[in-house]
Amino acid sequence: MTDRVLIEGSEAMARAAVAAGCRFFTGYPMTPFTELLEHMASLLPEVDGVCMNAESELEAVGMAWGAATTGHLAATGSTGQGLSLMQESLSEITNARLPLVVFNMARGQGDYFQATRGGGHGDYRHIVLAPMDIPEAVELTRLAFELASQWRTPVMVLGDYYLAHTYQAVSVPSIGGADPELPDWALNGSSGGSGAAKIISPLGGGVEGEEGFDLGAHYAACAAHIQEMSAGVDPLVDIGFCEDAELVVAAYGSVGKFVRYACLRLRDDGHRVGYVRPITLWPFPSEAVRDAIAGAAKVAVYEQNMGQMVEDVRLATLGAVPVEFIGGPSWDHSGFGIGPDINVPDISECILRAMQ
Amino acid sequence: MSYGERELMLTGIGGQGVQLAAQVIAQGATAEGKEVLVFGSYGGMMRGGNSDSTVVISDQPIEAPPVLSTTWSAILMHHQFWAPLKERIRDNGLVLVNTSVFEDELVADRYQVVEVPATDVATDLGNPLLAAMVMSGVYGRKSGLVSLAGLAEGMRRSVPPYRSQLIEANEAALAAGWEMAA
Repeated sequence: MTDRVLIEGSEAMARAAVAAGCRFFTGYPMTPFTELLEHMASLLPEVDGVCMNAESELEAVGMAWGAATTGHLAATGSTGQGLSLMQESLSEITNARLPLVVFNMARGQGDYFQATRGGGHGDYRHIVLAPMDIPEAVELTRLAFELASQWRTPVMVLGDYYLAHTYQAVSVPSIGGADPELPDWALNGSSGGSGAAKIISPLGGGVEGEEGFDLGAHYAACAAHIQEMSAGVDPLVDIGFCEDAELVVAAYGSVGKFVRYACLRLRDDGHRVGYVRPITLWPFPSEAVRDAIAGAAKVAVYEQNMGQMVEDVRLATLGAVPVEFIGGPSWDHSGFGIGPDINVPDISECILRAMQ
Repeated sequence: MSYGERELMLTGIGGQGVQLAAQVIAQGATAEGKEVLVFGSYGGMMRGGNSDSTVVISDQPIEAPPVLSTTWSAILMHHQFWAPLKERIRDNGLVLVNTSVFEDELVADRYQVVEVPATDVATDLGNPLLAAMVMSGVYGRKSGLVSLAGLAEGMRRSVPPYRSQLIEANEAALAAGWEMAA
């Protein structure tokens, strides 16, 4: 059942998270993540869930990690600065094979590498989803919890200030359904000697009859799992007007929505431009990007940074066509990555220059 | 040019109800089944600071991003921060101006100007703070985007519980604006 309401992005994502079964949330306030934390704090008690205002992002990710081991769906989040602090834990949580949803309400697009490569140690990757607007964020939030449970991995939802603070009329699922069933791997408080003790560790198992702390075996299993995820997670991508496009523009997230709109308008004016907007940033939809650009003379990548996703586009296209970076870092004085540089006329001009 | 999307940009100073007017119009359109997008910006959320908002209304899923460079319509509650908006109004657009306080030139031959002494009308209704509701009433009728019943529903959805004593006065102001637009 859904109710169609005019709702702020932060609240829409919070509602979608609780409707997806999230029962534990924690974070430390920081623009533009704060409202998401506030809405989770008001929603979770309605379903007997728990929301904690942490003392720092380090504490938040630690609590989320602990909650995830109990099998209850847990989530945390922050913006780039807070996510920097969380990197060590995100690496460990990935190697501990725990489901966790991480809301990264970024300031601009400078953190694409942080989100898709991760800044933690080890040979880990986790899923990253980048919605362009509120209806898509509602759907991807649901998907994030589903993928986290299915693959037992952290899944990051990469949003930004626009997503957090725009209002849009959307259908949001109602909250208050039955709690999701606990998985059999979940810790239940049984201690050593009870015969029912379990261990969930980034270093692997340690219970009799299991492989124990054989790090080689554990890391090999983790690596195999990441390979399996990389091949098994459906890559999502939004493609428009690429069939006869001379130039294909690639962009992601809210900025991707500006680029998409610029391309729609340029099409109206007769320019043969198409767009490709990766939605799963990891696994990157390389095949779809390669197909989309097949007939184009050139690919342009617009990002609000010095050029990060452009590397993934180059890897996907493998030199088939020239790939030019046409974006640039934000010069918004607030540091939140909102205007004045992100606007349709300036983006259209960048695209037209790339077409010459 | 806009895929059936109708844009509205509002400008005024904090305390005039610019954000509330945007919410009322947007909530009203949502209640009537339209696709709606709102992005507001306001300096420090204080009285006297700049207060702007953008609303997009459509029958189709909205393609427009949250920040737009041109608009089909505008509500000018005050002149102080309106300069950036001046060039954004498209030709043949719809411009509602609060003539009670607005002091600047309007290029009336480029777009349709509707003069509304909103603050005076609101004062006559008993409270100058109702000006934004008067303006919303005029806008609903002139734009054809939201009915009076829709605006009233939008207002009830927008007014916080601690302001519920103002619902009746708000409704009267919306109706007064609707009548003026006849």
